[in-house]
Amino acid sequence: MIEIYSRHRPLALLAGVVLLQVLLLAFQVKRERGAHEVRLVRYWAVEVTTPAERAGSWMLSKVGGMWHGYVGLRETRAENEKLRSEVEKLQIRNRELESQALEAQRMTRLLDFRDAHKEAPMLPAQVIGASADATSHTLFINRGDRDQVKRDMPVVTPDGVVGKIVEVFPASAQVLLINDKDSGVGALFADTRTHGIVKGTGDPEPHMDYVANDDQVTVGAAIVTSGEDKIFPKDFPIGTVVSADPGNPFQVIRVKSAARLDRLEDVLVLMTKHEVNLNRAEAGAETTASGAGKTAAAQAAAAGVSGSNAPAGRAGNLPKSTPKTNRSDAPAATQARSPEQYLPAQPPRSQPAPAPSEPHR
Amino acid sequence: MSYMLNPGAQSEANVEVHKFYGGTVLLSGLFALVLQALLHKYGRWSELVDLPLLVTVYFGVSRRNPVSGLFLGAGIGILQDALSHDYPIGLYGIAKTIVGYLASSIGARIDTEHPVARFGLMFFFFHFHQALLVVTQRVLLNLPAQFFSVRLLLDSVVTAGVGVILFALLDRLRKSH
Repeated sequence: MIEIYSRHRPLALLAGVVLLQVLLLAFQVKRERGAHEVRLVRYWAVEVTTPAERAGSWMLSKVGGMWHGYVGLRETRAENEKLRSEVEKLQIRNRELESQALEAQRMTRLLDFRDAHKEAPMLPAQVIGASADATSHTLFINRGDRDQVKRDMPVVTPDGVVGKIVEVFPASAQVLLINDKDSGVGALFADTRTHGIVKGTGDPEPHMDYVANDDQVTVGAAIVTSGEDKIFPKDFPIGTVVSADPGNPFQVIRVKSAARLDRLEDVLVLMTKHEVNLNRAEAGAETTASGAGKTAAAQAAAAGVSGSNAPAGRAGNLPKSTPKTNRSDAPAATQARSPEQYLPAQPPRSQPAPAPSEPHR
Repeated sequence: MSYMLNPGAQSEANVEVHKFYGGTVLLSGLFALVLQALLHKYGRWSELVDLPLLVTVYFGVSRRNPVSGLFLGAGIGILQDALSHDYPIGLYGIAKTIVGYLASSIGARIDTEHPVARFGLMFFFFHFHQALLVVTQRVLLNLPAQFFSVRLLLDSVVTAGVGVILFALLDRLRKSH
């Protein structure tokens, strides 16, 4: 018997083990809740495997987390590149829109200015270029002969005087800025009504010449056009005094132009050579002061117009032609469109122009 | 047939018996159970592979000792039963006990080193194991169960394919001569 068992021990063991499990099954089946009866076996099994499962689960979650992080990082990188590209496009678009908005603001200002001064026909123009010469302060606008732009027409912005037309081409025109060394504008101080000429020196800042050393000039004082050059409307802002130093024979007054001459993009061409008063409210006050406020420079400007040796005659912005019409005979500014109507007005002169070395105060 | 009744007597003489480092068998069995339980968390695709069966068969055919094979199968099966809540303990235990014994017996007779042989062996043992489960369920537990289905066929192919790879990996745990 023992020999048989030893010979067939594996088979006997198999039968024994299977029988035990069959009995175990039978035991569990007989009791409906048999699973609970062998809870100890399950408990041990779970106790044995749970720590390993916990460790494996932790490891898998870490590996999974790393993998997801890696995949996520790759996706994030791709998404980041996509978003960056989108941001760049949007930034470009935003700049375009900002530029358009700024342009619209500028144009609105220009149009508001034009609408507020309907007595003076104005032509909006865009700056399309500047001088290639560093010492020359000129620029080109996109209006020319086709738009009936003529020489010596004033160019302004709502901020102040820019310059005048010096060359006219079919579709463009060249503007001589007031800070060009060949430029000159009849000017006066807004408060004291002391006359002078704002001339360019080639520097960014023009100077106001022909103001005697005795005249009280304060830094920040406003300078406006005198209208005596027959180009620019009267009492239109030119700039403010930056510094005033005694000189020989006149003060050296540096002027900060009211118009941003270095950042011009849109300008207005005054389409008339007739005198227009853009500041009607101040006209009355100016009238009272103008009688006594004529300076030698202003009269010199007038003399320059008439071809005398007055210093204003050298000023480039001053008209070199003799006025042909009288202001009282000039047609309405709003109607002045034909070349004939662009003729400058001749204001009445009450006194002759004195020599520039003897400014009248 | 006589060999089936006393395989241990001939295996040592005719066929090479592979030895493993200490604890390898237990740890591999435990690892297979844990991994099977863990993979269940990540979807039903893990049911395509029966890792405890693979470990039982591999160590059975490698060690070629029916006694250790049947006890390994019994241990792994009972633990598998214990970790599942649906069936009473002993269902997988009986099936894997017999599979472990039979794998040890067959491993002592035929070459189980070639991948094709391993694939065929696993394919056979999968369905044999399934047949034992079905018989047990039907006879002892009076539960309905299928002997064969397309899903079982797919499971057997996948399990056999994974077995070929897993066996090659487990071969590295053998003691070198």
